[in-house]
Amino acid sequence: MNTVKAVFDYTFREHVRHKVWLSAALFGLILIAGGLVASALAQDERARMLLDLGLAANEAIAMISVVFLTVHLILQEVESRAIFLILTHPVRRWHYLLGRFLGTLAAVGLGLAAMGLFHWLILFALGWTGEGSYLLAWSCSLGKTAVMGALALLLSLALTSEAAAMAFSVFFWILGHFSSEMNYIAEKSGSSFMRAAILAFSRAAPDFAHLNYRDAAAAGLPGHRWMAAALLYVVGYCAACLALSVQIFEQKEF
Amino acid sequence: MSRPLVAAALGAALAIGADVPLSRQAATFPPLSQLPSTPFAVQDASLASAGLRAGAADIAWIQLLEYAGHGLPELPEAGGPVSPSLQKLTMRVVSLDPRFHRAYLYGASILGWEPGVNRPEQAAEVLQECLVRDPGEKLCPLYLAALTFQKKGDPERMLGVLESTLDDPRAPLMMRPLLANIYKKRGDYRKSLALWEIILDDEREQNDHPRAVKQITELKVLFKP
Amino acid sequence: MKALAFRKASKIYRSSHLGRVTEVVGLQNLELEIEKGEVFGLLGLNGSGKTTAIKLLMGLHLPTTGEVEVLGRRMPDVEVLARIGYAPEAAYLNRSLTGRETMSLYAALSGIPASRRAARVGAILEQVGLGRAVDMRLSAYSKGMLQRASLAQALIHEPELVILDEPVTGLDPLAIKEMRAVILWLKAKGTTVLFSSHDISEVEKVCDRIGILSGGRLAKTMTQAQWRGKPDALENAFAESVKRTDGVGEIKLK
Repeated sequence: MNTVKAVFDYTFREHVRHKVWLSAALFGLILIAGGLVASALAQDERARMLLDLGLAANEAIAMISVVFLTVHLILQEVESRAIFLILTHPVRRWHYLLGRFLGTLAAVGLGLAAMGLFHWLILFALGWTGEGSYLLAWSCSLGKTAVMGALALLLSLALTSEAAAMAFSVFFWILGHFSSEMNYIAEKSGSSFMRAAILAFSRAAPDFAHLNYRDAAAAGLPGHRWMAAALLYVVGYCAACLALSVQIFEQKEF
Repeated sequence: MSRPLVAAALGAALAIGADVPLSRQAATFPPLSQLPSTPFAVQDASLASAGLRAGAADIAWIQLLEYAGHGLPELPEAGGPVSPSLQKLTMRVVSLDPRFHRAYLYGASILGWEPGVNRPEQAAEVLQECLVRDPGEKLCPLYLAALTFQKKGDPERMLGVLESTLDDPRAPLMMRPLLANIYKKRGDYRKSLALWEIILDDEREQNDHPRAVKQITELKVLFKP
Repeated sequence: MKALAFRKASKIYRSSHLGRVTEVVGLQNLELEIEKGEVFGLLGLNGSGKTTAIKLLMGLHLPTTGEVEVLGRRMPDVEVLARIGYAPEAAYLNRSLTGRETMSLYAALSGIPASRRAARVGAILEQVGLGRAVDMRLSAYSKGMLQRASLAQALIHEPELVILDEPVTGLDPLAIKEMRAVILWLKAKGTTVLFSSHDISEVEKVCDRIGILSGGRLAKTMTQAQWRGKPDALENAFAESVKRTDGVGEIKLK
């Protein structure tokens, strides 16, 4: 696992030093500050609106960052041939992929934490009393970011085109929030084949409704079993995507 | 089968296993197809599709406030005291986020008690929706009870119920000026004056402060203790 | 004792476009053995298969047919990479890291224990003359400094076998002299060195044996005794053995 840590460390450093990523984090902070102004229009619901806008901005920036970073994560190292030097050391390919993925997730998570802290401080200053749990909403956003990162990594390796991988990632992001609609369409479908096909496609895509706690925060805190299931869902989905990525990556020659 | 494929199968099995309890406890959002038809359907669908259901409801809420205040260009019939689309816009907010408590209460208050609107049936429908979609919301049944007393011609009990909700932080701020106006109209200047004085003391109600100053001046003339 | 061996190793590159499959021969039936402690030069024109042979040795490519064995292990084998040092033709290093971070990364990847890592990093950077640039980012390094950093990562774990791909290409005369000294120093330590080059004069100065590749085939092998003291012997053998396969015609002088 030393090699995973070594790859993790350099990936994390690389991202933190990347100016594009810092710009994204800055943009997130500006969005939150913008939400502060926009929320003034919401009258009685100012805190709620600032909460929603801030969490959504955090998540959107994290999603854009993770998709952008993971889609380029391996392909750029192949293009710059930096991967030659890594893989000519005693590094198992799955160690390399795992380290790269976790390093990226940690860097995006750090940005998400910085934006979250800034956001929470604004909410706190406005006297937000906290309906539900901010930490849980934040953790769910991180979970979605992890799932999206793993999926984008898989797509980048399967499609070998950054543009196509990015387009498909965005498509899956939207589809992931469409699970209830997909189920509804499947139910209404007359053909049993169509129903099965829609449901299969819907199940293969990540179901972000499970992690969309920030949209359901008003419903209060879910139970521990829900939280454990959500964590398992994230771990399982990421593991499946990463394992498929390893399968593809191990076949590649550089 | 290669080791990565075995790992992928295990990961998928874990995710599917976790999917079952999560689906059972999933937050119940009505499908987008059940949203009331408004000129904002594309906006709502786009935001909800991007996973921003609460954000979509927030924007819908601001549009509801704008509509109630001075109308919206997308709804040219709107504005003024009639407010024919008010119920639809309220339903839009709560369809996007069924736990947007204040939207039920705000919509129902205007529909039920705002001078000149007079749509208590629509207000009752909004509150019924609240009972179904947001059963934990305590004020909805009270507002519904107040509407029933109004319908039965028992304004005393109606006002009593409404006044009992005023200190609840979930009650819409506009409920105080609304009740103050009703009291004034009924000649109960003392209660009206008391409410306007509370409004003037409340920092959250700064928008109503100029109106409160004017009303207090006026009521102090009318009310001689 | 063999340091490495190609046993009828072939590499065919296949690409397909719209169902049309194109095959390019990278290496054909290569049969070559290199003894431990030997300095072996792989000579050839561009496209002759030198880099393909090295990539097969490093496990970056898989042979289409035949076998490749390094330090007694059949490649690809991740474990054996801990005993090999590899420097590619250009310094494919991550430019966002400093010299120290880069060497720490490769030290960790090579399996050097954390307790020994810092000392080894300092020593190797000193050894390649980068002692004063340890905390500079590689993005600020000159081409010569990058080449040295690349060499340092290949030597950091004191490998038994060092593979250098075109190590003197593009270097100034002083740097070429230093590289020659490094190769001879490695030889004196008993390290096996394999390097590829176009530069016949360099090869004849340091190699015990050479192999001339042409069109993916091993056209000739020679021992030092065959060229030592015989001016132009190696150059003539090279000119006789190779033919252009990269589609470039001769320059016609009128």
